[in-house]
Amino acid sequence: MAIHEQLKKIILDTLPGVECVIGWGPGQDALHGSPVFMRKPEDVDSFMDTPLGAFGAVNNLALFLPELSGKKVGVVVKGCDSRSIVQLVAEKLIKREEVVIIGFPCEGAADLTKIEKALPEGREAGEVTGAAIVGETLKLSLGSEEISLGLADIKADKCTRCKTPGAVISDAFAGIAGKAPEVRDEYADLAALEAMSLDERFKFWEREMSRCIRCYACRNACPLCVCRDHCVAGSRSPHWITQTDSTRDKLMFQIIHATHLAGRCTGCGECQRACPAGIPVLLLKRTFNRGVAEIFGYDAGMDTEATPPLLTFQVEEAHIKEREWQ
Amino acid sequence: MKIGVFICHCGSNIAATVDVLKVVESAKSMPEVVYAVNSMYTCSEPGQQAIEEAIKERGLTGVVVASCTPRMHEPTFRRTVERAGLNRYMFEMANIREHVSWVGKDKAANTAKAVDLVRMAVEKLRLDKVLIPKFIPATRKVLVIGGGVAGIQAALDCAEGGMDVVMVESEPSIGGKMSKLDKTFPTVDCSSCVLGPRMVDVAQNERIELHAYSEIASISGYVGNFDVTIRKKATYVDWDKCTGCGLCTEKCPSKKSYDRFNEGMGETTAINIPFPQAIPKKATITAASCRLLSGGKCGVCAKICTSQAVDYTQKDREITVKVGAVVAATGYDLMDWTVYGEYGAGRYPDVITSLQYERLLSASGPTGGHIRRPSDGREPKEVVFIQCVGSRDPSVGRPYCSGFCCMYTAKQAILTKDHIPDSRSYVFYMDIRSPGKGYDEFTRRAQEEYKAQYIRGRVSTVYPKGDKLVVKGVDTLVGEQVELEADLVVLAVGGEASQNAPKLAEKLRISYDGYGFFMEGHPKLKPVETNTAGVYLAGSCQGLKDIPSSVAQGSAAAAKVLGLLSKDKLESDPQTAGVDVKRCVGCRKCINVCPFGAIREVDMRGQIKAEVIEAVCQGCGLCTATCPQGAVQLSHFTDNQVLAEVEALCQS
Ligand SMILES: Cc1cc2nc3c(=O)[nH]c(=O)nc-3n(C[C@H](O)[C@H](O)[C@H](O)COP(=O)(O)OP(=O)(O)OC[C@H]3O[C@@H](n4cnc5c(N)ncnc54)[C@H](O)[C@@H]3O)c2cc1C
Ligand code: SF4
Ligand code: SF4
Ligand code: SF4
Ligand code: SF4
Repeated sequence: MAIHEQLKKIILDTLPGVECVIGWGPGQDALHGSPVFMRKPEDVDSFMDTPLGAFGAVNNLALFLPELSGKKVGVVVKGCDSRSIVQLVAEKLIKREEVVIIGFPCEGAADLTKIEKALPEGREAGEVTGAAIVGETLKLSLGSEEISLGLADIKADKCTRCKTPGAVISDAFAGIAGKAPEVRDEYADLAALEAMSLDERFKFWEREMSRCIRCYACRNACPLCVCRDHCVAGSRSPHWITQTDSTRDKLMFQIIHATHLAGRCTGCGECQRACPAGIPVLLLKRTFNRGVAEIFGYDAGMDTEATPPLLTFQVEEAHIKEREWQ
Repeated sequence: MKIGVFICHCGSNIAATVDVLKVVESAKSMPEVVYAVNSMYTCSEPGQQAIEEAIKERGLTGVVVASCTPRMHEPTFRRTVERAGLNRYMFEMANIREHVSWVGKDKAANTAKAVDLVRMAVEKLRLDKVLIPKFIPATRKVLVIGGGVAGIQAALDCAEGGMDVVMVESEPSIGGKMSKLDKTFPTVDCSSCVLGPRMVDVAQNERIELHAYSEIASISGYVGNFDVTIRKKATYVDWDKCTGCGLCTEKCPSKKSYDRFNEGMGETTAINIPFPQAIPKKATITAASCRLLSGGKCGVCAKICTSQAVDYTQKDREITVKVGAVVAATGYDLMDWTVYGEYGAGRYPDVITSLQYERLLSASGPTGGHIRRPSDGREPKEVVFIQCVGSRDPSVGRPYCSGFCCMYTAKQAILTKDHIPDSRSYVFYMDIRSPGKGYDEFTRRAQEEYKAQYIRGRVSTVYPKGDKLVVKGVDTLVGEQVELEADLVVLAVGGEASQNAPKLAEKLRISYDGYGFFMEGHPKLKPVETNTAGVYLAGSCQGLKDIPSSVAQGSAAAAKVLGLLSKDKLESDPQTAGVDVKRCVGCRKCINVCPFGAIREVDMRGQIKAEVIEAVCQGCGLCTATCPQGAVQLSHFTDNQVLAEVEALCQS
């Protein structure tokens, strides 16, 4: 049985005990999918009923869990999504017993920006009339035109460094989890940025952030940004940022977002994926993630029992030897 | 708001490198500033009067003083503005001395920086709010941790002043290091004759509750209201029944237990009373040496005890007490001198520490006061003392002077001659440090009257030769190598903070330095206070010191405690955190980071919210730094106030 058929069966079995099961379904066009909230057995029909199938399961559905807390819900997860859940549980933002986690052996998810870039000059994703995955390629039809793209070239960057393609925790699993791949995140994406002088780097960010339209899609897509309506971005007291259209205020917001996610961000990349302006906001978060790993030996979203290093108080940190005098 | 700004010259401390008048001129154009003036010494009486007058005459509603560190004079100026009718929190200080004039020489740059700091203070002041302290009841009882001479003094003085005292001592008896000493400098009077009666006073004083062989398990609460959990370690003897007769110690068949009190110079029984003058004079079983407790068969002590005090089933017990103040007097320990391979690293039995030597000199010691070599029991004739072992030696991480070793070495040289008139003492020293009443005369006496031979220089190596020890060193005054054959080598081992000091400091929430010594509130003006309200220091836990200084600090700490608890209500600091429930999303981050357990979770119409317990909050600000949406704010240091300061700085 194909993975998505197996998943459907699990979802049907799960439905009676939960408020709903969150999964992926069709979206506005052949390429885009969107979350579906399945409450009744007939809702399950639309699950992964898309040309891209599991490869199009891009949304991190953990996003919806904090708001649904208090109710029991099921959720289908890629490996990276499961890390968000682990982190939410570790921070006690959701209760483990309130979620039924359904995993599957993820083989990577699409990066729609990469696909759009690969389209012929002047063509847009919305013009794609048909899509199908054949072996290791994605075949697209734009009217009469046919193009095919190698899956490896349009896979999200995060997938290339993913060490948890199967869920970190799950209550049900479709198929067999493969062996965890031997990958090491070298933070190669940060190298180019860090090769710049401070001045160049600042200019880089000013240029990037000048496109920001302050839609806060980045924040709203982040499964760990649980402040939602109470975000400092929109508050006068405290008045961390003004509402003026200044690049510095926009950058300030990104820095605040990155700081608030330090030691919590699992690198799911939803913030960057959601940004309509294509700003590489994940770089800031990944800089912190690397630092947290180096200083505290902590990797967010791997252990529900772990204490996030910045959400505790220790007179002496195990990894920071302040008082070594012997 | 009508703000007045006062810029201090601090004599020439500030004025020499800051153009004070220029700062005054700039201040005049800052928002809401209606008055700015310079002042020679703002903290002096006329300086403070000028502030009071300006408040009254010009109707000021807020004051900025630009002068020195707020650690020193913020309380002073808060009182000043309060006298003139303002709320004491409508005051801000800019530190243009420690942060400006003392650290930079460029007058133009300094002046610009001083203007920035003043502008920041003005901007913060504009957002200051009137804060009113609350009054909280206080428990009139003090906890003294450590029963050395400093702790004993603090306890007795507190009791004398009518205060109830709880004393916690980790060893089976109080007395500390002084109880191990034979005679004490500079008077060479018998240590136990001086200390003994004071220890008895502790036992007999009705106000003092003594918990020996106990430790602090945890401590929570705040000034006036500390909740202390004391762990009473199992002694396997019911101390209520034990009469201290010592019969058990005579009959115990396990006689090879390490003798802690005698610093390992002798061996003792598994059940033991450390020394004749011990307070409390009660027996304790060392479980590891006890035949029965380590799994074998015995039970001799239980049989012999006429009061049925022995109880092999005893367990550690915890009790809780409530106190209003704490005196930490945990003293010091000798550093681990075996890092010195050149002195044998502990391999040669006749190379001993100064404290071990005290036990050999003491009439109540393992040799009955006869100096005998540990190796063969022979009386030594040639004794070499090596000073600064683990003091003033950065190579072993001990750059500081232990303070008392020069003096006790001189004392030990004198006593050696007294005990063995035909002996000769040699002292290798770096410098002789003997400031103190009668101290220098004392070290001279050791040399002139008692003929101790002082050699200025370090010892490079000690090694055995036959039944002697060869000591090789250098005499830097003569510029020659020296080689001596000694019968006994005594190392003046330097001190360090007592072993568990950092752990205790964390429980008490006081700071400690890199060596584990507790930090005083101010090196000159608050020598026995800490930066945690209600916690005081006495004796060598704060830094190594001799008995007279330790006793003086004990009395000083007692005076502070008596002063603090002279009122039955204490003013609480209103600079605490508070939660804006409209903004709080109940993510509990603040609860997790608060080191004082001052935030709890409350259910507000089905939603989780955080709530600060004001009396417990210490105003550390960790929660505000953690809360992503800024729902928890620290009064007087709100995000907006800090941002206003940053903004002021960035705009200039
Ligand atoms: C060899 C030698 C000779 C000396 N000779 C002299 C002399 O002749 N004259 C002189 O003035 N000074 C002398 N001194 C210095 C003297 O020992 C100290 O000044 C004095 O003992 C300091 O007293 P204290 O109470 O601060 O500390 P301590 O005597 O160390 O007492 C501290 C007490 O606290 C207890 N304690 C430690 N940690 C804890 C804990 N966590 N909980 C509960 N209790 C705890 C300890 O068991 C101890 O009883 C000498 C020192 C040495 C090493
Ligand atoms: S990051 Fe890993 S789990 Fe996430 S989509 Fe890529 S391969 Fe799958
Ligand atoms: S900050 Fe971005 S990458 Fe990190 S958890 Fe949030 S959405 Fe994912
Ligand atoms: S999603 Fe992009 S454009 Fe929108 S606020 Fe974030 S960075 Fe700015
Ligand atoms: S300021 Fe916040 S973290 Fe600090 S003691 Fe008060 S409540 Fe706790």
